[in-house]
Amino acid sequence: MAPRRSQPVRQAQASSKPLDPALIARRAKKHLDELERSNCTEVDVDPDQADGTAESSGRRGRGAARQTLISDKRPSVHPNKKSTMNIRTALLYKKNLATLIEESGILNLPSSTPSYLSAVVPPPKEPPRLFCSVCGYWGKYKCMKCALPFCSHGCEVNHEETQCEKRVVY
Amino acid sequence: MLFLLDNGAHSIKVGHDHEPSVFQNAIVRSKGDKETYYGHEIPLCRDRSSLHYRLPCEKGYVVDWDAQKAIWDGMFLQLLKADVSESSVLITEPYFNLPQIQRIYDQFVFEEYGFQSYYRCTPASLIPHGSLFTAPHKTPEGDAPSPPECMLVVDSGFSFTHVVPLISGSIVWNAVKRIDIGGKLLTNHLKELVSYRQWNMMDQTYIMDDVKEACCYVSTVFKADMELSRVERSRNPIILQYLLPDFSLNRPGELLGPNQVVKDASWQILEMNNERFTVPELLFTPSDIGLEQVGLAQAIAHSISLLPEELHGMFWGNIGLIGGNTKFPGFVPRLMSELRSLASVDYEIAIYQSPDPITEAYRSAHQFVTSSPSVYAQRYAVTREDYFEIGSDMTRKRWKGPYSDVPLRVDSRFKE
Repeated sequence: MAPRRSQPVRQAQASSKPLDPALIARRAKKHLDELERSNCTEVDVDPDQADGTAESSGRRGRGAARQTLISDKRPSVHPNKKSTMNIRTALLYKKNLATLIEESGILNLPSSTPSYLSAVVPPPKEPPRLFCSVCGYWGKYKCMKCALPFCSHGCEVNHEETQCEKRVVY
Repeated sequence: MLFLLDNGAHSIKVGHDHEPSVFQNAIVRSKGDKETYYGHEIPLCRDRSSLHYRLPCEKGYVVDWDAQKAIWDGMFLQLLKADVSESSVLITEPYFNLPQIQRIYDQFVFEEYGFQSYYRCTPASLIPHGSLFTAPHKTPEGDAPSPPECMLVVDSGFSFTHVVPLISGSIVWNAVKRIDIGGKLLTNHLKELVSYRQWNMMDQTYIMDDVKEACCYVSTVFKADMELSRVERSRNPIILQYLLPDFSLNRPGELLGPNQVVKDASWQILEMNNERFTVPELLFTPSDIGLEQVGLAQAIAHSISLLPEELHGMFWGNIGLIGGNTKFPGFVPRLMSELRSLASVDYEIAIYQSPDPITEAYRSAHQFVTSSPSVYAQRYAVTREDYFEIGSDMTRKRWKGPYSDVPLRVDSRFKE
């Protein structure tokens, strides 16, 4: 009798167990990346899975030679001068910042050498404040499914109808 | 002629005399008239709804040189009408600019444009030459006192916020600290909030920049403001109404007065409530959006703690603000109150505000090159001849950046 009774209880606990902190951290990271976008409609595809269709105006470097340069179509300061090899390379092979950081060698610097990587401020000591994901007031409660905070029953209803699980897509 | 180019990730400040031209460092495509506008042409764009932006910079660093060249070409040719081969240039770069990006700056200046001479530096390093710290104390005789030996420049721009201490005009690189919060993130955050709560503004960067500048402020009493924002509309002192623009009617967006009624009931109004202060709040509390970094006040305290102890008092007493984010109302009182609780009581805290924090670095550069042109030419500028003789490595050695000792990786195509 006892084992049979404990079974459903354990299941119920499993379904309402708080989300994995790693998942929440990944969601926060993804959200921060979205806040860096220049255009919200930009499709941010994983570079490994990109099939090229999402890339229109030369967002990435490799194989970029096929694309035309906008700067070539514009009036040039020296119309009759050909750009040097260095300049053509810089224009044609666009690399994103992460790649440039990797290639710059600053990753191998001793930690005592100041660099872009060491200059970031330390994490705060205080735990983060939580805000209602619906109205922005203090978020006292957390959604059982997606762990986003909300402040009241009204906002909880709103959250469930419009927000919940939408952002749990990783 | 000597051109000064403060090449920000959001806006370019360029010119040769004391006031610069300011325009966006971007290429925008308007969905309305299907035209593309480059840098200084952007003000010509009438229909600013759903602009598509192409920015040369990623997180503050120039990565898209095609876009940057298109903007620079138009700027030198059409706006400045510059004879580049007969001119010199001073260009600003971001803090901790990567060595291989710095080399491309050098190549553009000499190989592409062929300037006579050039100096590349960070905006904060220009501030000691300007009047940010000296202007308020101008003596009646008119001769400004020299700037303080120790100063701490807070540069809060489009991509990030830096705390930059300087001793005798030189940056102390190991105490330079960065918070990854800038104007771009603030606007995008605001866009997200209002798009979920009211109108879909995700594509309206231009409008939301204006809303941010018109409505947002840094709260000095965050908890109290949060409560006030919950009060019913008639007694709520926080709520502001912003009339959204209608570009098809050529009607600009504007902030409405407390009892102002719009002419046409169909005009769209955006209501700004707690968004007004929770957005700039991120500069002081980045963890509010899950960014695990301390806020500006603690960043300043942290930076000072890395400096020689006998100088701490000098840094606390000489904090200067540049960059567009420092224009938010309430920024200084909030920073002051937070700093006061972090600094020892023995130290006096003084914050210097620029009358125009966006062009402060430009104007400092102008004072720098005009006050002693010979020192500038001999000590700082590198000539075209020197560059072609010795190459880009010498600019790094001469200008002593944080990575000046780091061996520059050679491109793989040269290795082979």
